Amino acid sequence: MQNDNIHEIISIRHLTDSTYIIQMSRRGLKFRAGQHILLGKAGSIHNREYSVYSGEKDSYFEVLIKEVDDGMVSKQLKKLKAGDKVQIEGPLGFFTIEPELIEKEKFLFVATGTGIAPFHSFSRSYPEIDFLLLHGVRNANESYEKNHYPKERHILCTSGDKKGDFHGRVTEYIMKNRVSPDTHCYLCGNFNMIHEVFDLLEQQGVPPEQVHAEVYF
Amino acid sequence: MKKIAFKTLGCRLNQYETDALASRFHTGSYQIVDFNDEADIYIVNTCTVTNQSDQKSRQTISQARKKKEDALVVVTGCMANNYKESLLESKAIDFVVDNERKASIYGIVEKHFRGEVADPEGFDKDVFNYEAAYKTFHTRSMIKIQDGCDNFCTFCIIPKVRGRATSRPAEEIYANIREVIQYGFKEIVLTGVNIGRYEDGDTDFEKLVENILEIPGDFRLRISSIEPDGFTHRFFELFAHPKLTPHLHLCLQSGAESVLLKMRRMYTAKQFRQMAEKLRSMYPDFNLTTDIIVGFPAESEAEFEQSVTMAKELSFSHIHTFKYSVRSGTRAERMSEQIGEKVKNQRSEVIRKLSEENKRNYYKSMVGKKQRMLVERIGGDGVARGYGENYIPIRLKAAGLVKNQFIDVEITGLHEAKELEVTAKVI
Repeated sequence: MQNDNIHEIISIRHLTDSTYIIQMSRRGLKFRAGQHILLGKAGSIHNREYSVYSGEKDSYFEVLIKEVDDGMVSKQLKKLKAGDKVQIEGPLGFFTIEPELIEKEKFLFVATGTGIAPFHSFSRSYPEIDFLLLHGVRNANESYEKNHYPKERHILCTSGDKKGDFHGRVTEYIMKNRVSPDTHCYLCGNFNMIHEVFDLLEQQGVPPEQVHAEVYF
Repeated sequence: MKKIAFKTLGCRLNQYETDALASRFHTGSYQIVDFNDEADIYIVNTCTVTNQSDQKSRQTISQARKKKEDALVVVTGCMANNYKESLLESKAIDFVVDNERKASIYGIVEKHFRGEVADPEGFDKDVFNYEAAYKTFHTRSMIKIQDGCDNFCTFCIIPKVRGRATSRPAEEIYANIREVIQYGFKEIVLTGVNIGRYEDGDTDFEKLVENILEIPGDFRLRISSIEPDGFTHRFFELFAHPKLTPHLHLCLQSGAESVLLKMRRMYTAKQFRQMAEKLRSMYPDFNLTTDIIVGFPAESEAEFEQSVTMAKELSFSHIHTFKYSVRSGTRAERMSEQIGEKVKNQRSEVIRKLSEENKRNYYKSMVGKKQRMLVERIGGDGVARGYGENYIPIRLKAAGLVKNQFIDVEITGLHEAKELEVTAKVI
C-alpha cells in the first residue's frame, strides 16, 4: 500500500542553473493558495519548507526551489527525475487570502527571489483577483515564468542588470510609487526585504492588519 | 491497593492530562501518593520545550527509578515523542507512551498488572479521550479544548511532538465543563497548545468562549495562555462578561520586530502593543502576563532592549523567561549566530528582575480594589490563600472561610513571602 504522503515526480523544469520547479502528483491533497509544504526525498528524514507554486485547482502540485550552496535538501531534490518519489507533509501555514476579499479588494504582492511562489499560486487560483506583483531579483533571468502573469500586473525589479521593468530593489519601487492605504499587502521572500517593506507600508499609511508576511530563510 | 505517583513537567496542558489520568486511576481503586513517596507505579509526564526541560525530565525519571527498584515507571509527554528511541533503550523506564496515546496509560498499566503484554503502540491514538477529572491536584479545573500547532515558529519543537492542530468537538467541551461544575469546581481554565486557533465547524474560539459563558452555574472562566494572533473586536468584548476573568497570558516572545519575523510569529510587535493597549483601555486593571525568549539566534543587544522596553511599557505582571535553546529539527537550529549561555543568563536575569518589579507595581495598583477570591487552601494558621479574578495571589485571615468558595474581598496591601502576595479583608 502506498503511504499517504508519498507523491511521484511528474517533471522537473529548470528555470536557471540553480532554480527549478518540481511538478508532482497531487493525489487529492487539498491546500489553500499561499500555504507551504514540507518536502523531502521519499525515505529521507530531511525535508524543507516550500510554498506551493501551483494553483488550487491544478491536477498536480508544484514547488519552486532554489538550490542552496550549502543546502542538503535542495541539492537532493534537484537530482531527482520523473518517476522518483518524494514525501510531503502539510499543507501548512496561514499566508492565505480570506475568500470574501478576493473579488472586492486590491492586492499588492511583493516578492524576492523564489518568494514569488505563493503569488504564482494566488494568481493561478484566483484569476479574477486585482493585484500588482513586484518581483525583486538581481538579474532579469531570475524572473521565473514572468509570462504567467498579465504584463500590466507584474513588475520585475532588478538590482543588478537593467533588463527588468524597474532598475532597483522592490523597496525603492515602493518609495517611488506610493501604496494606497486600502491595499492588502502580501510580502514573501528574504527577511531584510520584509522588514523594510513593513516599515515603508506603515509610513505610507497601510494599516498593519492589512500586511501579511511569509519569511524565507 | 496499588500506589501510584505522578510528576508533571512543563505546560498546563500536561497538568490537565496528568489530572485526568490521576482521576482515572483513582476511580480504578489505585491510591494516589506523593511523588516523593514510595509507589508501585510512577508516571512521569515530561516536557521537551528547552534543554533544561529535557534535563529535568531525565532527572525525574531517574528519581522515580531510585525510589523503588521494582516499581513500574511510565514515561509520557513531549520528551517521549521527541526522544522515543533513546528512552526505549533506558533500563530505568518500563513504558514509553507518546502524547497521542497518553490517555491510554490506565489501560496499559492495568494490562501489565494482569500479566498481559501491554505494548503502548497497540492502543488507539486519541488526544482528547480524557474523562472529566474530579480528582485533581488543583482547585481550578483545566479543560482541554485543542491540541497541536500549525504555526511552526522557527524556535519551537511543539508541532513535532504534539502534531498538527486539532480541536476537540465543542459539544464534548460543554459536556466536560458541565460535569466539572457538578463536581464542584468553580474555576475553569481552557487549555491546549494553541487555543486561539480552535475550530470545530462554525465554532471558532470566540464562539466557544461565548457558549461556555452561557453555561449555568457559579463558576468563572480563565483563558490563560494564548497566542496573540487572529483576534477580532469580538474577542476583546468577551471580557465584559462577569464570568470571564480579566487576565491573559499573551505570549510576546520578543519586543523586536526583526526577531519576531525571524521567529516567524504571526504578529508584529506593533500589533501586540495595540492588543495590549486595547485591553487596558477597555478594562483598566486587566492583568497581562507573558513569555519572553532571550538569546534567540543573532538577537542583538538593541533587539533585547526592545523586549525590555516593551515589557516595561506594557507592565506585564509576570514574565516567564525562556533562554533560547536549540531544538533539533527546527528552522532556528540552522540559523547562524547562536548566542552564548553567558549572554542568555544576563538577559534572563534582566527580565526576571523586571518581572518582579512589574509584579510589585501591579499588585500595588490593586490595593483598595475589589476582587472575588476563590479560596484554594486554608493553612493551620487560619490564613486562606487563593486567587482573585485578576490572577493575583491573595492571603486572607477571616472567620468561617471554606475551601473552594468565592468570597468578595478588598485588597489591603502587599505581603512579602516566598512569592509576593496581597493581603485582603472581607467586604
